[in-house]
Amino acid sequence: MTKFKYVGRPVPRVDAMEKVTGSAVFTDDIELPGMLHTKLLRSPHPHARIVETRTDRAEAVEGVVSVVTGRDFPFKLGIYVGDRDVLATEKALWVGQPVAAVVAETEAIAEKAVQLIEVEYENLEAVFDARKAMEEDAPIIHERLGEYRTLPIFSPRPGTNIASVFTLKKGDIEKGFAEADLIVENEFSLPQVSHAYMETMCFIARHGADGNVEIWSSSQPPFIVRYLTSMSLDIPLSKIVVHAPYVGGGFGGKAGLNFEPLTVLLSKASGNRPVKLRLTREEHFTVAAIRPGLHATVKTGVKKDGRIVAEKIVYVFDAGANADYAVNVGRAAGYDAIGPYDIPNVEAESFTVYTNKLYATAFRGFGHMELHWAIERQRDIIAKKLGMDPIEFRAKNVLKPGISETGTGARLREDAANLEECLRRVGDALEWGKKPAKPKEPWKVRGKGLAVLMKGPAIPPNTASSAVVRFNEDASIELMVGTSEMGQGTLTSLTQMVAERLRVPMEKIRVASLRGTASTMYTWQTVGSRGLFMDGRAVLEANKDAESQIKQIASQVLHVSEEDLELAEEKVRVREEPWRSLTLAEVVMGYMYPGGNSIGGPVVGRGSYIATGLSVLDPDTGQGNPAVFETFGCQGAEVEVNVLTGQVEILKAFSAFDIGRAINPLLVEGQVYGGTVMASSIALFEQLIYQEGVLLNPHFLDYKIARMSDAPEDMVSISVENPQEDGPYGARGIGELTMIGMAAALGNAVSNALNIEIKDLPMTPENVWKAVTRQNPKLLERAKRYLKGE
Amino acid sequence: MTQRIELVINDRCRTVEVASNTTLLEMLRDQLKFKSVKPGCWRGDCGLCLVLIDGRPIKSCLVLAQELDDREVVTVEGLLDNGNITRLHQSFIEKGALQCGYCTPAFLLASEALLRRNPHPTRERVCESMNGILCRCTGYKQIVDAILAASE
Amino acid sequence: MFVTLPEFEYHRPQTVSAALDLLDQYGGGATVMAGGTDLLVDMRYRIRVPEHVIDLKGIEELGKLTFQPGEGLVIGATVTLNRLLEYDAVQSRFGALHDALEDMCDDQVRNRATLAGNLCTASPAADCAPPLLVFDAKVEVASPAGRRMVDLPDLFTGVKETSLGTDEMVTAVHVPEPPPDVQSRYLKGKRSSEDCAIVGVAALVARWDDPRDRVVRLAYSSVAPTPVRVYDVERIFRQDKPWGDLVEEAVSAALNRVSPISDVRSSKEYRVHLIDVLTRLALRELLGGRR
Repeated sequence: MTKFKYVGRPVPRVDAMEKVTGSAVFTDDIELPGMLHTKLLRSPHPHARIVETRTDRAEAVEGVVSVVTGRDFPFKLGIYVGDRDVLATEKALWVGQPVAAVVAETEAIAEKAVQLIEVEYENLEAVFDARKAMEEDAPIIHERLGEYRTLPIFSPRPGTNIASVFTLKKGDIEKGFAEADLIVENEFSLPQVSHAYMETMCFIARHGADGNVEIWSSSQPPFIVRYLTSMSLDIPLSKIVVHAPYVGGGFGGKAGLNFEPLTVLLSKASGNRPVKLRLTREEHFTVAAIRPGLHATVKTGVKKDGRIVAEKIVYVFDAGANADYAVNVGRAAGYDAIGPYDIPNVEAESFTVYTNKLYATAFRGFGHMELHWAIERQRDIIAKKLGMDPIEFRAKNVLKPGISETGTGARLREDAANLEECLRRVGDALEWGKKPAKPKEPWKVRGKGLAVLMKGPAIPPNTASSAVVRFNEDASIELMVGTSEMGQGTLTSLTQMVAERLRVPMEKIRVASLRGTASTMYTWQTVGSRGLFMDGRAVLEANKDAESQIKQIASQVLHVSEEDLELAEEKVRVREEPWRSLTLAEVVMGYMYPGGNSIGGPVVGRGSYIATGLSVLDPDTGQGNPAVFETFGCQGAEVEVNVLTGQVEILKAFSAFDIGRAINPLLVEGQVYGGTVMASSIALFEQLIYQEGVLLNPHFLDYKIARMSDAPEDMVSISVENPQEDGPYGARGIGELTMIGMAAALGNAVSNALNIEIKDLPMTPENVWKAVTRQNPKLLERAKRYLKGE
Repeated sequence: MTQRIELVINDRCRTVEVASNTTLLEMLRDQLKFKSVKPGCWRGDCGLCLVLIDGRPIKSCLVLAQELDDREVVTVEGLLDNGNITRLHQSFIEKGALQCGYCTPAFLLASEALLRRNPHPTRERVCESMNGILCRCTGYKQIVDAILAASE
Repeated sequence: MFVTLPEFEYHRPQTVSAALDLLDQYGGGATVMAGGTDLLVDMRYRIRVPEHVIDLKGIEELGKLTFQPGEGLVIGATVTLNRLLEYDAVQSRFGALHDALEDMCDDQVRNRATLAGNLCTASPAADCAPPLLVFDAKVEVASPAGRRMVDLPDLFTGVKETSLGTDEMVTAVHVPEPPPDVQSRYLKGKRSSEDCAIVGVAALVARWDDPRDRVVRLAYSSVAPTPVRVYDVERIFRQDKPWGDLVEEAVSAALNRVSPISDVRSSKEYRVHLIDVLTRLALRELLGGRR
């Protein structure tokens, strides 16, 4: 049981009242005086040179304020590689890429006028498959790749479609395979999928005549939006303010830079009036960034006793037409290529490759759900071949605190997360070793499966956070942090930490709901499950600072040393003599003696945090320490499969994560259930389906995501709490982790149920039926015989 | 071409001038500024724009505003009881049935409609009634739990 | 897709004849609207751009829903799917229709969408069509020339095409009373819990115990340009043969009658497979131990 009053308790969200009453403000809810509306013209071709664009007919429509094309905005955008046009300039690179925009008095006028823009295209050969795009004679999508602004940690290959490649090398791979008793090689794949957050992206920008720029964005990271907008458009940083209203789901899709620069430029082109750009759902599906697809080749060498001695991996990420963010997905998947395993000899190459499809960005898990699909299916396949129990096989090879080295050669801290414990706990919950109960119908079968997983924040080594704890006259507190609220609930957990340390009730701590670069403290981005850990550390520092200011004042007034003071019940008091106290309200604005003499001043606690000891990974071997923490976990499931139709039903879905400490168990559960269902949805239903580059399912009728009946009833979140010394109250990040292992766990369960090996996602009924037909036709024949009553 | 309609919104009589092609979603959100009515797909797939019409949950992107003459509409603002949250709201908060909050108004309205018609629904009935509304954050479990808890 | 609907004039007649007058007056430029759940989406995609929208929900006659022994079920053109779903006679006598309604779109859309609308959209995937086909439903069509009854199969002429003239509208769907011991089911292949039919199968069985008078009917959605009924089935099941052989013949008859395609929802091969297994499942569920 927790010894804390707030930390560790399932307190309700601080934003709950606004959200249940309908008063929470999202970007599209904001209307500014004189605001104009935008519509984008999208390319109908997957790869085409833009010969000429005629805008005069659109301009002539009454109510149209401006019509712009790519050539009006010759800027390149991107977080890691500047490969992205504001609007397609020389070439259109995917079906749906915005090539022109209309700004008008109303959305209806903009919609009408945009149809009147005429674009003459010259079609070019397109390439849709990432592996084909790597071939020598493939059409080149970014001819100027070598000229793009690129962070030096990435390795683009100009003259090819390889936006970047990451190489991981450890030990001696040839020697490793030579020692192996068994070598297993398999290929796995996952398609591109959509974030499908409920709030489609929305941006409002006002580019003032004085050069001042204001942006309202449904964005995860206001500060990086400001930084990248400044850099890309050559606007001084100090002239840009980015406001961050509530975000209606992000999952990585609203990280980095999106359409903010376009909206700023549109405002400038429209007489400095504010301009709103809101994507429709169809635009969201065809314009906004998505999760990359992956093709993986995994070759593993094992000893008879189950020890993995060598692993060689090739990951090919299908980044689509731009890779400005995806290069880091490929990189993160490269350095974590082997997952949470201690393997002495490793060689991995992770390619991020351009194709003429929607472009990829960050997505909850950042390459890790993809790579764990491959390696955790591979682990089960190997265990089967060795005749070993999959839990024992994993237990033998997983990383162990204080002992093991990760793939990048970083030795695990003594207080690192305990993966083996997570593995055992999920195994126990699933009653591993016990046969699943018999399904009601004889043509259904059941199976169990599990997968282990790891991830740390995949971010540059120098990303930082800051926080301010500012007292008000009544000793209430303004907590100022830059982390965004997109559903994850970090603001609530941070508030708990302030209440805990400063002994102020939670309801007296306010985090402004409409925040932004001018009104809150810097944080790099709200991504990579870093918010709770990094912003949390900054909040702890701010707490400490505020507490010491309070004690400094009180020690003068009460004539005791600061060390003898404590905070309790909104008071500062002498330890063991609680009757000698001052209320916080008497202190926090400065203390006034009866005669009028005053000391101190408003208490403002300030805190900063930057991870220390992280390294820029070795460019040739990828060795080094990339992450401030690694969260480990295990996810498992029991499924029932209808052999006749291929339909999969999830009966049980269990997850155990070593998160160090659950600051708020209610929120942790929320993340686990949410991640479980999102991963199940991706595993069973989701895929962007293209035909010659045209997306065939740009809506929720044909892009299926889980609905309430699809969510397993029996979902359990098991919190393992081995605290990490330098985490806030021992906590590690959790947000992304919750979906990383579930797809592979389901793949293992379905494969076990059907006695086949599923290697490709999604496991739609049709794909499962096909796999059974190919790999275990007797099972289908038997099911059909049951149907005949035999 | 516009037409004047009279309707009751959240217990208040309103007279609104609407164009023939104005949808209920546009009237509520853009004209009358009920920003809690969220757009999500404009084709009836996601349910975020749900409101109650004469007590029945309906997706407002698929309704013409003119059809609302003489009808009663409730948005999530209308679920408050004299400005206070109800047991249903409380249950959503306690069970953690909301995360980003974008779908929350729709789920609250649909739950209210369900519980009025069926005060003690089964878990299955809850799911069946809520399948028309998408949520990408919660995994739904906490929403089901909240509705069942509010029905006890 | 547009957010904004195209401009049109909205009409809300109070009688069928007023609606017909409007249709007559505006010719092809007008469309009738019942629930509007398909129409408004088509209008946003500019698939349909009517200058006049005639809302039928003000016509009292079209809102009626009745069941009379001997006459059967009469479902007015503006009766919503949920009203139908909640109607006792549907649950007790028209099981396949009830199955289809229960599994159609979602609760909120069912509060608006209508049966007549579902039929008039004439999607090959229309869930209500196969049940109504096995129940021998007819559609009541009104035009300035009067009213006529159209057999449901004759309503569908192609993918989203009907035999209705521009001056005609459906006023009701009539479903004759089925034999007293009728049992029927509608099963569909889906990609997730809520989906339009990848393949839908309606099966109906009555008077099973009398082989010469036995009624067995099958109809399908999403297997051809229109929903289809397989008429050969009735003859097949009146043969004096073992159960297994009858089912085999029925499945081949169905497969002969359909022409499934590959699309974004399913391959042709998977559809063929589903026709096979769903037909067997439906018959098995209906006949249980009686065969």
